[in-house]
Amino acid sequence: MSKRLKHRLRSVAVVAALLILPQVVQERYFLHIVVMAGIYTIMTMSWNLLAGYSGQLNLGHAAFFGIGAYSSALLAMKLGVSPWFGLLGGGVIAGFFGFLLGFPALRLSGPYLAITTIGFAEILRLVAVNWVDLTRGSLGLSGIPLLTPIRLGSWGMEFYFERDYYYVVLAAVVFTYFCMLRFTHSEFGVSLQALRDDEQGAQSIGIHTSQYKLAVFTISAFFAGMAGGLFAHFTRLVSPDTMSLHVTFDTLTMTMIGGLGTTAGPILGAVLLSLLSEWLRTLEDFFRMDIRLVLYGFLLILTIRFMREGLVGVVRALKEGFSSYGKGRNAGGDHD
Amino acid sequence: MKTRTRLILVAACLAMISALVMPALGSATVKIGILGPFTGSLAFNAGEMKKGMELALDEVNAKGGLFGQQIELIFGDTEAKPDKGLAAVKKLVTRDNVLVVGGGYASSVNIATSEFCHYEGCPNVVAIAISPTITNRGYDFVFRTSPNSPQFLEGINEWLAKVKRPKRVAFFMENSDYGRDGQKIWEAQCEKIGAQVLDRLYFEIGSTDFTAAISKLKDKTPDVVFNIASTTEAALIQKQAKELNFVTQWIGVGGQFTQAYFEMTGPVSEYAMGSSLEPTKAMKDPVTAAFVNAYQAKFPGSRPGIFSSQGYDNLQVILDAVERAGKPTGNLAADRKKIRDSLAATNMKLSQGLIRFDKTGQVDTVFPSPVQVQLDNNCKADTQIIYPAERAAAEYQTPKPWDQRRCK
Amino acid sequence: MESLFLQQTLNGLIIGSIYSLIAIGLTMIFGVMKISNFAHGDYSMVGAYTAVFLMAWVPGWMGWVGSIIAAAAVVGILGIVTERLIFRPLIGRWTDIDIIMVSIGLFILLENLAQLFFGATPQMISDPFKGATVHIGGVSTSVLRVFCFGFSCIAIGALQIFLNRSKLGVAIRATSQNRFAAQLMGVDINLIYTLTFWVGAALAGVAGVLYGTTFAVHPLMGAMPTLKAFVVTILGGMGNIRGAIFGGFILGIAESLGGNYLAMEYQHAIGFFIIILVLLLRPRGLFGAKEGT
Repeated sequence: MSKRLKHRLRSVAVVAALLILPQVVQERYFLHIVVMAGIYTIMTMSWNLLAGYSGQLNLGHAAFFGIGAYSSALLAMKLGVSPWFGLLGGGVIAGFFGFLLGFPALRLSGPYLAITTIGFAEILRLVAVNWVDLTRGSLGLSGIPLLTPIRLGSWGMEFYFERDYYYVVLAAVVFTYFCMLRFTHSEFGVSLQALRDDEQGAQSIGIHTSQYKLAVFTISAFFAGMAGGLFAHFTRLVSPDTMSLHVTFDTLTMTMIGGLGTTAGPILGAVLLSLLSEWLRTLEDFFRMDIRLVLYGFLLILTIRFMREGLVGVVRALKEGFSSYGKGRNAGGDHD
Repeated sequence: MKTRTRLILVAACLAMISALVMPALGSATVKIGILGPFTGSLAFNAGEMKKGMELALDEVNAKGGLFGQQIELIFGDTEAKPDKGLAAVKKLVTRDNVLVVGGGYASSVNIATSEFCHYEGCPNVVAIAISPTITNRGYDFVFRTSPNSPQFLEGINEWLAKVKRPKRVAFFMENSDYGRDGQKIWEAQCEKIGAQVLDRLYFEIGSTDFTAAISKLKDKTPDVVFNIASTTEAALIQKQAKELNFVTQWIGVGGQFTQAYFEMTGPVSEYAMGSSLEPTKAMKDPVTAAFVNAYQAKFPGSRPGIFSSQGYDNLQVILDAVERAGKPTGNLAADRKKIRDSLAATNMKLSQGLIRFDKTGQVDTVFPSPVQVQLDNNCKADTQIIYPAERAAAEYQTPKPWDQRRCK
Repeated sequence: MESLFLQQTLNGLIIGSIYSLIAIGLTMIFGVMKISNFAHGDYSMVGAYTAVFLMAWVPGWMGWVGSIIAAAAVVGILGIVTERLIFRPLIGRWTDIDIIMVSIGLFILLENLAQLFFGATPQMISDPFKGATVHIGGVSTSVLRVFCFGFSCIAIGALQIFLNRSKLGVAIRATSQNRFAAQLMGVDINLIYTLTFWVGAALAGVAGVLYGTTFAVHPLMGAMPTLKAFVVTILGGMGNIRGAIFGGFILGIAESLGGNYLAMEYQHAIGFFIIILVLLLRPRGLFGAKEGT
């Protein structure tokens, strides 16, 4: 009982610390980085649900991000829909595309699925580049409306400063986190993991794998789309770049380094790498060379090669002592 | 062991966060922010811009600097991506507290960064970007020291109407705002002069094989092909046109004519056209000639290109405005406002020509001249101004069939 | 009109031969080791840079022929090193997702290291044929492209003979079909792994020299060939060498004809459209075997 209490207390402390962070550190540039890290956290958590928990290697995740961003921005700009509904709308539209992408995924796996999803994202990126009347082509949409102010009687909240967006994104991250927890720590999650570890086995014990695959693609795309909407209304710009392979690779790297298939890993990875890459920016007067991606590539290889569960695995190993490390991982297996 | 590792981890995180949070130490320097893609695939061009700025900085410092204070340039790397550019400009404006943001390269990035500067009331003088959008949104803190696309293509348009008068034209454009904006302007001109548009093709940035598109263009036999492309793609298109035995008058914007372009194409690029602000081509102008000489003295062995010249002018305009605004009082918002007002009154002769801003903050006095690639006696290719007559250094040459060309 | 069709078919055949040459290594490595290597196109990039540096020393014909050999050697060694250090320790221990992701890490690393050391400015490998062109009927192309086509066909043919006739080649094919059976027959499986990676990487390196001479050399040049090679191998069925050869030509021709008659701005997506269609109908590719091979 006391352990549970301790756990609760710790959660409360974390939430409280996060809530007062913008009051303690008021620097806008720092908060900008934190907000971007938060948006990436939603991306990594949603990708982790697909790749980590269900074993579906989606290399087109940036497409969902882009669809959410474009939809949310266009709904506000062309139809005058409130950005608050736009966020939801972007997520729903992205979710629909995720549902569609789920169909090829029913029959494909491994490299076949990876290339199909890359193709999906590339085709959508080209549509964004070429459909100039709607998307303004590679110049992208700019001047996207900010989130509309909230008024409750005499109390009101404007959305202009990074601090304001911080709370919105924090709420979205917490919401995503609890959704992911619910998904993974339920029958649904157990079925997903069964699907990942042995698809035929899962079918034989009566799991409807196709329904699960479609569901997990839809859910994951919904959250990525929501992250895209937040990105659009925060930075006020969307360009076809948001759908490029690099966004997917950044998401993938963050998740892997944090710890694939763990709850905390994607958060840890997204936050640490976002801070790290901005910190490298402050060094650039000395280096003047793009060392960030070199580091990403190197860390990614090292992680997969030596610490499969990423930073979460390292922390766990430190906690439990080194003896038991390496036994926790339940995936893997021979794929001949 | 265990606690020590954990301590180290925590310390490392704290160090990183504090490095990010720590405000820049206030001191008596005049701080100017400079944006640009200093890393990534455009790093070379941004480096040229930076070299031009270093020359401008030297010159102002040699004249005694500003108000006896040191001028500090703070560089923000945009990586040529709008979202990275936004992070960079936020750092410059809200953390480094610069007086003005200068530099900038690529329209999509500058559209985002200038918007932020406008809302923050920090003057932004854009150095290198061509999209009209940047200055036509009514943002009064945004200026641009380089021509926008209509200005860039005005000379070519005049030449098309008065000299070339093409009947059949086609478009083969980079699939970006750079290509699409230019196309819009040329389409209007073609309608005016009664030229028939045969086809409109687009290619992706980073493509390498253009044989399918060039074969299709060849089949339609256009007199002129408008081809907006960057260095690598433009050079490959010229080479592949030769392979496919296709002769036409290629016309681009002119930004492609870099050193790397001529190394890649050699004599193959003969007859290609564009517009140019190449300072070495305008040596009749004493200010431009002085810039070229000073640049070559500072960076021996390198030839100033258009980006060096635009970087130089950009920083000169900024420093001039800061000087006219008077010594900064320390009240950042008021100082920035004063600098904005003095920027609007800019009127100085620099390496690209006279710099003066119109009501929107767009320079309206710099016009590039149409140039054509021509070969000297040793088959070395270089651009020559061919229009208008008072600035021309050479006559326009009609493209010859490949087997009749002097240099192979 | 007719000559345009012929010209586009020729354009497609030539570019397709280079696609095949790159894809063949990718598919071999997948067949033998079940590794999908997203850094495969970067082997071509390293091969092209090998040529750039060698030709700065030895220009002209000598340098160019030397570059092809040097690229095969340098990239072959790089292939073996990456196989030993990165891929081999993962085989059989982790899932194919991990292997794809580790190769993405290698891709990011190689691309950005190249940018760090060689800079982003494009480089040239000078054409040993000095830009000579041939024109027959209404159809034109360069001598270099004809050479690339011929060279690719010969290299592919030689590889086929090696795989079908030589003892090692048969061992590679046997391993590709059934690893355990091959092991039982006394095939040294580690040797086969090394050999396969060497041959596959060296072919990509040589293709890089051809590609770099025809086009240009820069740090990011590997990404597009990687994606094309994947499209080709999937079209042909992963692990199927003959499928990769046909797949390369099919993709090349589809791109040039599709670009011409459908939409030039979607030229690069044509391959993806095709594989999505093919995979929906035949999940193991056009020439892919049913299951379990």
